[in-house]
Amino acid sequence: MDIDDILREVDPISHQIPQETRDLQDLTRAWVAERSTPELLPWPSNGLFERINDKIKRQIERVEEMTGDMDPKTNFALIVIQTELERYKYLVRSFLRSRIAKIDKHLLHYISNDTLRTRMSQIEEAYARRHQLLLHNHYLNSFLGTFPPAMQNLNDTAGNISMIDNPDLDSAVFIRLLKDAEIECHGVDVDGVLTGKEGDIVILRWSDAKALVEKGDAELV
Amino acid sequence: MALPLPPGLTQNEVAFLAEMEMVTVVPRQRLDSIDLLGGKTPQLRPPHRAQLPLWLALLLKKQRRANIVPPAWMHPASLAEIIHRETKEDPEAFSAPPPPPSRALYSQPGTARRLNHHASYLDDFTQSQQDSQQQQQQQQQQQQQDPNSILSPPFLPSNVAESPAGYLPYHWLEVAEALLTHAGDDMPAPAGEVRSLLRDLVEVRAAKMRSSTSALEGFGDAWLTLRGVGAMELAENRAFLAGLVDGVRKIGASAEATRREEEEEARRGGEYGGDGDEDSDEDMGL
Repeated sequence: MDIDDILREVDPISHQIPQETRDLQDLTRAWVAERSTPELLPWPSNGLFERINDKIKRQIERVEEMTGDMDPKTNFALIVIQTELERYKYLVRSFLRSRIAKIDKHLLHYISNDTLRTRMSQIEEAYARRHQLLLHNHYLNSFLGTFPPAMQNLNDTAGNISMIDNPDLDSAVFIRLLKDAEIECHGVDVDGVLTGKEGDIVILRWSDAKALVEKGDAELV
Repeated sequence: MALPLPPGLTQNEVAFLAEMEMVTVVPRQRLDSIDLLGGKTPQLRPPHRAQLPLWLALLLKKQRRANIVPPAWMHPASLAEIIHRETKEDPEAFSAPPPPPSRALYSQPGTARRLNHHASYLDDFTQSQQDSQQQQQQQQQQQQQDPNSILSPPFLPSNVAESPAGYLPYHWLEVAEALLTHAGDDMPAPAGEVRSLLRDLVEVRAAKMRSSTSALEGFGDAWLTLRGVGAMELAENRAFLAGLVDGVRKIGASAEATRREEEEEARRGGEYGGDGDEDSDEDMGL
């Protein structure tokens, strides 16, 4: 550390938000969003997870190196690093697990539709296909196989009723507005436009909130 | 492997989020900067104050390596003011959230700018030194990289020592609880006094949360603004409020579908001219 670093640290004028903070904010936001919405959200396309996974890998290597020397001074730093690593890993794990929960719940819905399929990462898509394959084969072996061949599919749309379950996109969610915005809300008896201020916390239907969240004008809480 | 929890953050998850809030500490020991995944921690040199995430501050506090400076809003005077505002001035709504932080600009003395804004990612110090073309390029680059990275709690500095008094931050209950439990001796007043004020506040606001359902009725049971609500209060009532809104929607689903069809028809009628019916009658006559 030289004098420039020290100056930069106490410098009241440079308040650029560092990349690490932004990554953590984005990860947290993605996690909260995934935990709150009724449907699967698009996989973050800006390389956020590749970057985070790289960082976690490097940090684990560092921990392994540091456990070698048992100097009491670095020992405490090691505890802090490991605590933070566990917190970070928890976020990533919980994010992925809640995505898997959604994919599991509406497997065919997400694999059958081209636009919905792009929301999954490659690994998630492979997982979903394989899961569906195992499940269907199991059904065929246990009871579906005795049915007439025409009734052995799981994606029939006969009689205008699709067998594939959809997530309920009108479920209520809570959002925080990051900018002033006008929200078109749909209700049972009336529809209306809600003039929201920045920082407002609103409960509304996910189908009404979706556009705002995708634009980055609001986030889920 | 799949997460068995229902949608919406649970109390435990909210408490986890609250531990990312930044707080101010006064270190009692030197500690070098540690290179964490969430960024480098500042170098700790007593008695210089530093800002650390709450989980790290609590770890240091437990090991007696630092004292935590409680945020200004936790001072009894500030809490009493908030209670006054919640009960007397506006007994209907929650008190307002903290104002977004602003900073003075180096390049334009005398001007202030919102800290938490797209444009402010550009360091205004470097901005003043660069020619405008470069500046624009950098700005474009920044915006391409991050179209929507506005910070929000727990990453806003709303629990540090210099955050304004009289405003409850989003994670107020969790932060106060953690600080009172683990750093009770750092409080500006006896911990019991702060605790009893907080309990009053919790009760006042819980009553508002319950009565908010009647406000929901006025908006067609579909949307509701809860400005100033706290994360933990939301987590406690999330299942009830979301269940209420979803339940009403499911009961009224067919009525809503009929209403929508009628509105659609009325709009279509309007598009083809107000007296479309008469015209068609005349056509029939001819």
